[in-house]
Amino acid sequence: MDDLLNEFLTETNEAIDVVDVELVKLEQEPNNKEVLDNIFRLVHTIKGTCGFLGLPRLESVAHASENVLGKFRDGDLKVNEHAVTVILESLDQIKEILAGLEATEQEPAGDDTDLIGRLDAIAEGGDGSAPVRKPDVVDGEIIDPGLGRSLKAGEVSLEELEAVFANTPGPEAETVDPEPASAAMSADVSLFDRMGGEDAIAVASHLIGSRLANHKELGTFFGSVPADQRKAKFMGLMLALFKDDIDAAENVGKLLVSEAGFGDDEFDALMKVMTETFTECQVAEEVVNEAIMTFELVREAITASSNEVVPAVADKPGEATGPGAAAPVAGAPTGGPSRATQSIRVSVDLLEDLMNMVSELVLTRNQLLQITREMDNSELAAPLQRLSQCTTELQENVMKTRMQPIGNAWAKLPRVVRDLTVELDKKIELEMVGSDTELDRQVLELIKDPLTHMVRNSADHAIESPAERIALGKTEHGTITLKAYHEGGHIILEIKDDGRGIDAQKLLPKIIEKGLATAAELADMSEGQIQKFIFNPGFSTAEKVTSVSGRGVGMDVVRSNIEKIGGTIDMVSIVGKGSTFKIKIPLTLAIVAGLIVKAKDERYAIPQISVLELVRASANSEHRIENIKDTPVLRLRNRLLPLVYLNEILGLNDDDDDDDDEREKKDDFIVVSQVGPFTFGIVVDRVFDTEEIVVKPLAPILKDIEIFSGNTILGDGSVIMILDPNGIAALTSADASDHEDEEEQEREVKRKAASNTIESVLVFTAGVETPKAVPLGLVARLEEIDVEDVEISDGKYLVQYREQLMPLIFADPSMKMMEKGRQPVLVFTDREYTMGLVVDTIRDIVEDELDIKLASEKPGVVGSAVINGKATEVIDVAHYLGLAFSDWLNSGDTNDATAPTEGAHLLLVDDSDFFRNMLKPVLTVAGYDVVTVNSGAAAIALRDDGHMFDLIVSDIEMPDMDGFELAQNIRSEGIWQDLPLIALSALASARDINRGHEAGFDDYVAKFDKETLLRSLSQQLQIKGTAA
Amino acid sequence: MNDLIVRDDLSVVTTGSQDYVTIKLDGQSLGIPVLAVHDVLNAQQITKIPRAPAWVSGVLNLRGRIVTAINLRTRLGLPPLEDGKKSMSIVVEHGEEPYSLQIDSVGEVLSLDDQLFERNPVTLDKKWRDVSRGIYRLENELLPILDVDKLLTFDAEGKAA
Repeated sequence: MDDLLNEFLTETNEAIDVVDVELVKLEQEPNNKEVLDNIFRLVHTIKGTCGFLGLPRLESVAHASENVLGKFRDGDLKVNEHAVTVILESLDQIKEILAGLEATEQEPAGDDTDLIGRLDAIAEGGDGSAPVRKPDVVDGEIIDPGLGRSLKAGEVSLEELEAVFANTPGPEAETVDPEPASAAMSADVSLFDRMGGEDAIAVASHLIGSRLANHKELGTFFGSVPADQRKAKFMGLMLALFKDDIDAAENVGKLLVSEAGFGDDEFDALMKVMTETFTECQVAEEVVNEAIMTFELVREAITASSNEVVPAVADKPGEATGPGAAAPVAGAPTGGPSRATQSIRVSVDLLEDLMNMVSELVLTRNQLLQITREMDNSELAAPLQRLSQCTTELQENVMKTRMQPIGNAWAKLPRVVRDLTVELDKKIELEMVGSDTELDRQVLELIKDPLTHMVRNSADHAIESPAERIALGKTEHGTITLKAYHEGGHIILEIKDDGRGIDAQKLLPKIIEKGLATAAELADMSEGQIQKFIFNPGFSTAEKVTSVSGRGVGMDVVRSNIEKIGGTIDMVSIVGKGSTFKIKIPLTLAIVAGLIVKAKDERYAIPQISVLELVRASANSEHRIENIKDTPVLRLRNRLLPLVYLNEILGLNDDDDDDDDEREKKDDFIVVSQVGPFTFGIVVDRVFDTEEIVVKPLAPILKDIEIFSGNTILGDGSVIMILDPNGIAALTSADASDHEDEEEQEREVKRKAASNTIESVLVFTAGVETPKAVPLGLVARLEEIDVEDVEISDGKYLVQYREQLMPLIFADPSMKMMEKGRQPVLVFTDREYTMGLVVDTIRDIVEDELDIKLASEKPGVVGSAVINGKATEVIDVAHYLGLAFSDWLNSGDTNDATAPTEGAHLLLVDDSDFFRNMLKPVLTVAGYDVVTVNSGAAAIALRDDGHMFDLIVSDIEMPDMDGFELAQNIRSEGIWQDLPLIALSALASARDINRGHEAGFDDYVAKFDKETLLRSLSQQLQIKGTAA
Repeated sequence: MNDLIVRDDLSVVTTGSQDYVTIKLDGQSLGIPVLAVHDVLNAQQITKIPRAPAWVSGVLNLRGRIVTAINLRTRLGLPPLEDGKKSMSIVVEHGEEPYSLQIDSVGEVLSLDDQLFERNPVTLDKKWRDVSRGIYRLENELLPILDVDKLLTFDAEGKAA
């Protein structure tokens, strides 16, 4: 059987069971909104799934029930006994269809018109009408059992057919039906086709049904069954037999006779009736014989089941609800192995218990191993070895039962999307990234439905029709992207579409109508806030209710399901561009790889995801921890890596005197971690190996300790804490500042980190007493140069450094080279230029927002900032580079008209870290509010997120998307179309400048010409101001 | 479990007798409702948690569950156990989370008549008053009853400690 169908059966059966119970609860407390919502969702899900699986009969029944439930929910209808009864009846009907589905893998034939009619009547408000409960009232309905639905316009009912058939005068003898002739010619055509197909069989079963009712022998067995059921039963039996589906035929056969006493004689009589009927229907004689032969296959089933029928059941022939009784009634054993034997459902609680037991087993095993090791008793060794092995395997398997790749939950989505594309006539591609991300089974189960809902929503609401998309200049194919990945101790699921986005304006009337907010409140809300109203119950933006979605169950179900597992859901939607939903699920139930490290006497785990690399530092090796004042740093591939000592972070070094001793150990292991853009090293005492750990949540008492994200039990049974690099990073930054009002600080730090304005600044002194500072990002290395190595050439100080001559420049004109000893030097590198800046002492590295308060006229100084509570001069590296290399800076010679427009918002696009770091303070001090990105793509992303700037400065040579492309892109679409654009490039030939203008740049400035850039900025902003 | 009902006039409604496990802490006997006690453990290997409140002595593994160990002496403002002596634990639950209360030793289970119960004396140390439900007058000593829920409601306490 199809996996999908199998799963559907299991799930739906479960859902139905829940609904059964809930409905009864609802009847008792009609005002319980929660129960009602729950029922509604379940039925909605059943309906939805049926649609995808192509089960029209089931879908129509569920749809009708859902309608009624919807009215309950909206308060249009009062919950009453009658309505509930009918809904329960519809559930029974669904169950029956499901049973048939399981037996034959096809929806059994049958008719639900009556039931649907009654449900619809209730939905229309007809709850006052007398309940029509007996299913046998359906007699005479215009239905076609073969079709299993009410007749569409243009179709003819069987009664009419029969009438026509009976009234047609004697063509039987003359007219040779082409059907049997062809059948005779091709013996390989199936019996079903030779019998004349479904229609002929329908006619035959109708005739048989009506004849049996008045048959002198058989009437007693069939007379009491409603005509429709009789027809349906024969129809089902024949279909199954003629299509060679013996299992199904046996099942149906068992149901054929519901009275006791149907023996072989009766069966023969029945066969006689059938032969007559078939002949009458102009089926060729040989075909009739063959057909009758096939009935022999079910002779036993029919007669045997008749003998099993107990009188009590026989009294109530109508028990087999509805005419669709071709399916086995509940409880009737079905042929073939039941689904249940292939897989069983085990409660997660049980698995959890099992897991705990195994943990304990592991502990006991370890104890035993320990004891035998001491006892030196070889007799025990062998069995213990075996026990140990079994335990390990058991543990692994129990763990495995809980973990599944998320791909399992996604498996049915491609089909869902495919079916939707057909149904909605759209073109949609589904991309899935990270499907091997493992999730706890329980979590997986819970997010399955929300995910399906969301993908369905995206396909239905978000993605436009191909025509619309083309008109909007998008590709014909819409794309829905599913992405799963680990991030900072969470699993992130992203559902992204490139559809129409959510129009906040369209939501407004709905929000007000639903009373969720007043117009005044809405006026104060941002677009994003308004969009988030879609997470409220009963909210749907679809203009009409379709069978796919649009009842507003979607997003609130999604949210409640996700919140149930402690997750969060967020979304960003841009009208015309699409929406991204981001589901964040805590890792508490997931397994992660953890690096086990040691600090003092305890072990800790660091999630492997946030570990970039491990570095071993010792006094003699290339990697050696150096201190700037008390701040430890590590040189790592031409970068300075700030370090934190785990011992100190954990507060394990209480004694300050010990501090230095602790740090001056010969060997240190450094775990290089990354948190967002911030890379730092955690110094630990020892590194063990990596282990797969099951993250368990912290007790509430410990939740406040931000450096831990959870705890876990290791293989040896010991409990260890899991470190949270995010927390450590936050703590480090917080420690650097004052301890007063820590919480406020923390928030501040987080905010700063989020806006990415916090910077590491190297503080030093040179010449005068005022401390000087430079962004750490600019410093390539810190060196101490022996004064004796310094040479003087052409009036400049030089030093041989890494086989090159490096010019040395004094950071302050009043400085002098030391007489002897080692002179600290900051090394700056840009492309092929390397320069040493001679300073007196290196003071500190500070994490702070580089907020330059006062601009400076002094050459080489950008301005003054308050760092560590002291006024500090921030130096302009470009100036010193200019001093060192005259060709580095093509200095402009004009100094006028550089006054900036106050507080203008600039975007600086440049792929070079160095350049960004250098230019940012220059621009900031000139009064601009600067945001930097490192690629054209990142800039476009900002635009698409709706960020607005006054002006954009872009580099030209960048990988992937160069400046020209970026300019073209900006000019062609989006909110930045009219912004002034300034190109900044080392390529400053006339040809380049022309090309720049063609691409859409308003001005073109040579890369290191600070003055011209400032002037150009000012001009462009003025032009813009005038234009506006 | 039957809760004790204290009337407005401070008298206790007699509802029969209650069962308590008695524990020893720095020479003082204390009672814990027997139904609140899930487990009694000998000394366990406890993983210390840096930066945790002082009265959280760490976490331990109890049959696959991670249990937070509370140092009851610190929690109640008593001096720490002398070196070399090992504490026992009583495992209780609060808000579906297991906690292990580190104590000196476990005594016996007593069935106490409600008539022996009295409210806390107003002069009782605040740390104790906050977590004691009341006191039983036993023949030889007084037995304060620990309110496990209050003991583990830590919000304000955690900051103060």
